[in-house]
Amino acid sequence: MTIPLSSFLVLSALLFGIGFYGVLARRSAILILIAVEIMLAAVAINFIAFATYRDPKAFSGLVFALFVIAVAAAEVGLALGIVLRLFRERRTANVDEANSLKW
Amino acid sequence: MDQVWIIPAIPAVIFILVALFGRLMPRQGDFLVILGGLTLVALVFSMFPGFQAAYHDGHFAPEGRNVFAFDWVNIGDGFFIIQFSTYVDAITMVMLPVVTIVALMVMIYSTSYMHGEPRYFWYFSVLSLFIAAMLTLVLSGNLIQLYLAWEGVGLASFLLIGFYWERQSAAEAAKKAFITTRVGDVGLLIGIILLWRATGTFDIQAIIAAAKAGAIDHTYLTVAMLFLFGGAVGKSAQFPLHVWLPDAMEGPTPVSALIHAATMVVAGVYLVARFSPVYAEVLIARDVIFYIGLTTAVMAGTMGLVSNDIKRVLAYSTVSQLGFMFVALGTGAVGAAMFHLFTHAFFKALLFLGSGSVIHATHAQEVEHLGGLRKKMPWTTATFIVGSLALAGVPIFAGFWSKDEILAATLHDGPILGYVILAATAILTAIYSTRVVLLTFFGEPKDHHAYDHAHESPLVIVGPLVLLATLATFAGFFALDQVGQALGFVGGIGQLVYLEHPHMFTQPDWLLAGIATLGSLAGIGIGVAFWHGDARRAVAARAWAPDLHALLVNRYYMDNLYQAIIDRVILGLGGVVAWFDKRIVNETGVDGGAQTVGYLGYRLKFLETGRIPNYALGMAVGLVAIVVVAFGMQG
Amino acid sequence: MFARLPLPAQFDRIIMTGGLVGSLVMGPILVGLIALYMLSRISGAEVVFYLASVVILLGALGAVLLPNLVHSALSLIATLLGVAAIYLMLLSEFLALVQILVYGGGVIMLVIFGLMLTNAQDDPVVSDGSQKPFAFGVGALIAGLFVAAAMMAQWGPSTATIIPFPAFGERLFRDFSLPIIIVAFLLDIAFTGALVNARRAESAAAEDAATGGTR
Repeated sequence: MTIPLSSFLVLSALLFGIGFYGVLARRSAILILIAVEIMLAAVAINFIAFATYRDPKAFSGLVFALFVIAVAAAEVGLALGIVLRLFRERRTANVDEANSLKW
Repeated sequence: MDQVWIIPAIPAVIFILVALFGRLMPRQGDFLVILGGLTLVALVFSMFPGFQAAYHDGHFAPEGRNVFAFDWVNIGDGFFIIQFSTYVDAITMVMLPVVTIVALMVMIYSTSYMHGEPRYFWYFSVLSLFIAAMLTLVLSGNLIQLYLAWEGVGLASFLLIGFYWERQSAAEAAKKAFITTRVGDVGLLIGIILLWRATGTFDIQAIIAAAKAGAIDHTYLTVAMLFLFGGAVGKSAQFPLHVWLPDAMEGPTPVSALIHAATMVVAGVYLVARFSPVYAEVLIARDVIFYIGLTTAVMAGTMGLVSNDIKRVLAYSTVSQLGFMFVALGTGAVGAAMFHLFTHAFFKALLFLGSGSVIHATHAQEVEHLGGLRKKMPWTTATFIVGSLALAGVPIFAGFWSKDEILAATLHDGPILGYVILAATAILTAIYSTRVVLLTFFGEPKDHHAYDHAHESPLVIVGPLVLLATLATFAGFFALDQVGQALGFVGGIGQLVYLEHPHMFTQPDWLLAGIATLGSLAGIGIGVAFWHGDARRAVAARAWAPDLHALLVNRYYMDNLYQAIIDRVILGLGGVVAWFDKRIVNETGVDGGAQTVGYLGYRLKFLETGRIPNYALGMAVGLVAIVVVAFGMQG
Repeated sequence: MFARLPLPAQFDRIIMTGGLVGSLVMGPILVGLIALYMLSRISGAEVVFYLASVVILLGALGAVLLPNLVHSALSLIATLLGVAAIYLMLLSEFLALVQILVYGGGVIMLVIFGLMLTNAQDDPVVSDGSQKPFAFGVGALIAGLFVAAAMMAQWGPSTATIIPFPAFGERLFRDFSLPIIIVAFLLDIAFTGALVNARRAESAAAEDAATGGTR
């Protein structure tokens, strides 16, 4: 394998930064979910990269990546339920309009 | 003797019992208080044989016996110890019978005098508290305990002077007494703290030992002892803090007797006497005591000359006699001072109770309303005259012996001018005591309503009068060596109270005694000449020097001066402090702080946008910070 | 065949545009990578890696930057598939499979359903929040820090090895059996919760309809 570990890590870091930007910058709750998925994918890449490069015997990172995917699926399902609820209650899916917790 | 703590404990317990349950008891519990008084007298006298035995063994004199009871407060393993301890020596053994006997007389007397008053039980319970505090004071072996008892005495006197608190003047007088003595009490507290700082102990005997050994810097000790004397000045109504005592007449008359004779005012004398070995080291402080005593004696004596209120005259005479005592203390004649305290307690209690009898009978206490009472109240008149003779210093009566000792001590150790002034004051004493007797019991009745109303008082009032009159007549003989020896002491009271000049008692100075006798007789003569009959000459004398009269009647304008000081300085200062409190502390500090927090909250609440992206941004910034810190830790 | 699919014309346009843009961007990159491979500057694995990386990053950028939410969702598919490719390169075929099944099949469908049900606005003006500059700063900072961390560290020799399916299964269901159960419960609860959430809204709406919609 000629590709160094750090290449995967750099890819993961860039992906994470993009996801981070998406979470912070966008208003739509669904787009925030998409950005969160991107961040989770970045983390999963990290896990797997470390598992295959540094821990080939136990490969716990691999298992964790699986869990990340599972939890992400659950999160998306639940979050979308909430978004639907929000949309029903407020006629919007924009998170900065759901600001009834303000001062 | 080691269980002497029981003595103050008895009245203290009775105070609590009567104050709480006196309302429910038969006769509102006064019998309990009197029983306590009787027990105290019995206990005190039962102490004498043991005291004498110990005295002869040399265990006692002159250091006395310090009985340590228990540690009350112990901070820093001995750095700051307050003990509960008792101390018995000759001075204590003089004070104990005085306090208990006079207190018992006052209690018995009060059952009639205060009969039917509202809060009867409260009066008696506070009386008991008063006695408890005073006994704790004279028995305490350390300064903190003494200070607490000192304040307890002040509190009890405040409660008793203000007993008729419905009356504005009584409430004012109580307040005045409390505040004026408090001025002195602060001095006492400062003195105690200074002494503690120098010696690290509150134990009186340890402090005295340290001072004698020269362990305390002389100037420092002088200042500390002057502060201590400040406490005595306040409590014993010495110039310039004498103003409260005449006003203290607002209390019930038996209370006045107690305050003037046995408890409150003699506390100051006791304090200075207790520390007399230390005052012997700091002669400047002793001179201050001497001159303050002299000033007080003269001023109060002259004021007594013009006052029309019978009780007020007696009050001035008390102040004056206390001045005598301080003069004696100022010359170092502790024995003379304690002796005068001893005799004065009896005849002053007698005079006050006698005046109380008059007031009780006539409901008048201005001499303008009295006169000619000798026919109606023979017993009261007779005992009152005995008291007056004792006060005037006529031979064989108690006051003669003790006043003579003071005069002798002054001549011996003080300036000659001091002796002259004091002797003149003694004549003055004779004059005003004659005046009161003449105006009250002789001459024509000036107010027939009061006169017709008058009657001899019942036995419970006359009985104590007679008993006290006996004591006022014979108490002076204790000074004689023969009497002292008969009682089991080597010398008289001069030996009892460790004296520096015992010779004055073994060999009475007959020349001085003769001068004093002549002086007092001359004073009585002048009194009779001016105030007999319709007191024509006295009126003429008043007309001759109206300014002087006004000066005396207005008490040298001391009260006006104090009032002015209070109005201008204290209220002015109070205004500034109030302004500071209102503006700076309250509005700026408290309200301002609240407002600042509120305003910040009002401003900062807009950070809570309720928008999830904003919170997410905050979290993100935190994450960045953590990563940066982690990088920093990695190096 | 496409014409008969019941897709709205919008989807045609999206697919056409996406394909066009993707070809225009990816074509030169692919050509460049193949040229480098031909010149033996990089290995075959590297070609695949860089290609996948470009797909992932461009897809991610499209997902977070495109104003149209449907475009974002579709762009996400590219990213997720690219990630699956990366998984393959990391020799974990099973996860790559799971990635495609769960994300490409489930999550994306859910997202698109969500978009449809919430009547997502196709308005670029309102699609961006007010803290865009901050978001950019923070995102760049985080990425920069992580990249710096990854580059600075000494990782030692690369020893990537294929992890066989049976070993993975054994590990998963023997050593991690309890977490697996917990995750199963978590999924169950989460989807039940989502269901209840949606249904309660429905029933509330029904009540509103019944009572005249006073809320």
